[in-house]
Amino acid sequence: MPDHNNLPVKLKGVGDSLWVTVDDSLPVDELKNALHKPFERLKQLAVNARIILDSGNNPVDGKLIEELGGYLKEQFHVGVVTGPPQKPKPEVRNKRTEELGSAWHSHQSEALIIAGRVRSGQKLQADKHLIIMGDLNPGAEAIAGGDIIVLGSLMGTAIAGQPDNEGAIIMALDFRPTQVQIGGLAAAGSAGFGGSGKTPEFAMIENNKIVVMDYAAANPFKRFAWPEVR
Amino acid sequence: MDGKVVVVTSGKGGVGKTTVTSSLGAALALQGKRVAVVDMDIGLRNLDVIMGLENRIVFNVVDVVQGRCKLKQAMIKDRRINNLYLIPASQSDEKNVIQPENMKWLCNRLKKEFDFTLLDCPAGIEQGFKNSIEAADEAIVVCMPEISSVRDADRVIGLLYSRSITPKLVVNRIIPKMVEKGDMLSHKDVVEVLSIDLIGLVEMDESVVVSSNTGLPIVMQKESKAGRAFMQIAMRMNGHPDLPVEDPMAPKSFWKKLGGKISRKNKVH
Repeated sequence: MPDHNNLPVKLKGVGDSLWVTVDDSLPVDELKNALHKPFERLKQLAVNARIILDSGNNPVDGKLIEELGGYLKEQFHVGVVTGPPQKPKPEVRNKRTEELGSAWHSHQSEALIIAGRVRSGQKLQADKHLIIMGDLNPGAEAIAGGDIIVLGSLMGTAIAGQPDNEGAIIMALDFRPTQVQIGGLAAAGSAGFGGSGKTPEFAMIENNKIVVMDYAAANPFKRFAWPEVR
Repeated sequence: MDGKVVVVTSGKGGVGKTTVTSSLGAALALQGKRVAVVDMDIGLRNLDVIMGLENRIVFNVVDVVQGRCKLKQAMIKDRRINNLYLIPASQSDEKNVIQPENMKWLCNRLKKEFDFTLLDCPAGIEQGFKNSIEAADEAIVVCMPEISSVRDADRVIGLLYSRSITPKLVVNRIIPKMVEKGDMLSHKDVVEVLSIDLIGLVEMDESVVVSSNTGLPIVMQKESKAGRAFMQIAMRMNGHPDLPVEDPMAPKSFWKKLGGKISRKNKVH
């Protein structure tokens, strides 16, 4: 009876993937041989299967994944081969626990929040983020080191991410600016009267260009796994 | 009790400040108030011409503040309307011959004698504007329904607020047909951006041009739509702030339409 604990290769189905545990103390060729037998048995089942290669060490050596992945793709036409999903490092975990507890309570906000109408000829300047609860009229200017968020109509000029923060965004409930600038890029708007009648929109840099998108549809921060201080 | 000093301003030139000043001056005087209108456009005076009083000017506002004449000597009584006086601007001086403190002194004296002192502010936001707003208690911002006028009015409103003066808005020269077609901003668009209290909507009216050339106040022409609008603005300034603002875009009532048709037919035959 073979000792299952000491097998150089073990296979397990996990969700829609195949979890392959290998003993990385063995030479690569020996591992390839060991992989050959079970994958041959799988035959069609292995085609396009998603493979997770795990060596017990975290993270798995990239070279090993490349080598064995290449072999499996070539021989058995498997799909994507990756290492096991990364678990957050202990220090990240600790930080998150702390944030949930009390750290955000004592966070000093760097956002300048202004309520009211900013009129032509008036200029608002914030070191970091700028939030305007009101309208920015044509001829008015808002300048920020970070993001600019207008909870109202943006009709004037909004200059975000100064001088070189290209990750900044400009968002408005009613987005029809005269001009927007992010970092070192500028884009002309088409100032018009009457509400845009659209949903909230935002501008960001994508492929070295300023693009404007529907905020709700794009939801640019939904991919963040954890709420972050911006 | 002291009267009020009201500055009529716009930022942009050519939007009808002088017409508004002279018309409101005449309307308030017709409503029984003692009114002085002061032309603050030193070097480019117009108010005297619009009011048909240019041939009676001997002294002007610069003469008054520099002590060359008494205040009474510079005040020109209107030919037709009692209680309406003009203090003309100088045509030969520059705007900076008057300083804000001179205006304070002058307006304090005028307040004692008149219920309303209307200051016809020059275009721009330089010395003439600064002089005009220095002594003002209230302000009327005149704006045409076009983008550049709204932009400048917005700037001026910001400057007035910074001096703690809450202005009121007159949207002048509205052409309802163009608004209907979408070729002109509606007064609602203008009010949305400027976001201040509306005190009057004045339609484009050819009789204003005739009135400017003849010196006959528009408010004395009963048929004039603009004249009626100015009379109503004057009433709002003069103790009836809640008088509803007539919307030139509102559909006319059946009887008014019918009345209009009959009167047009009569004119044709």
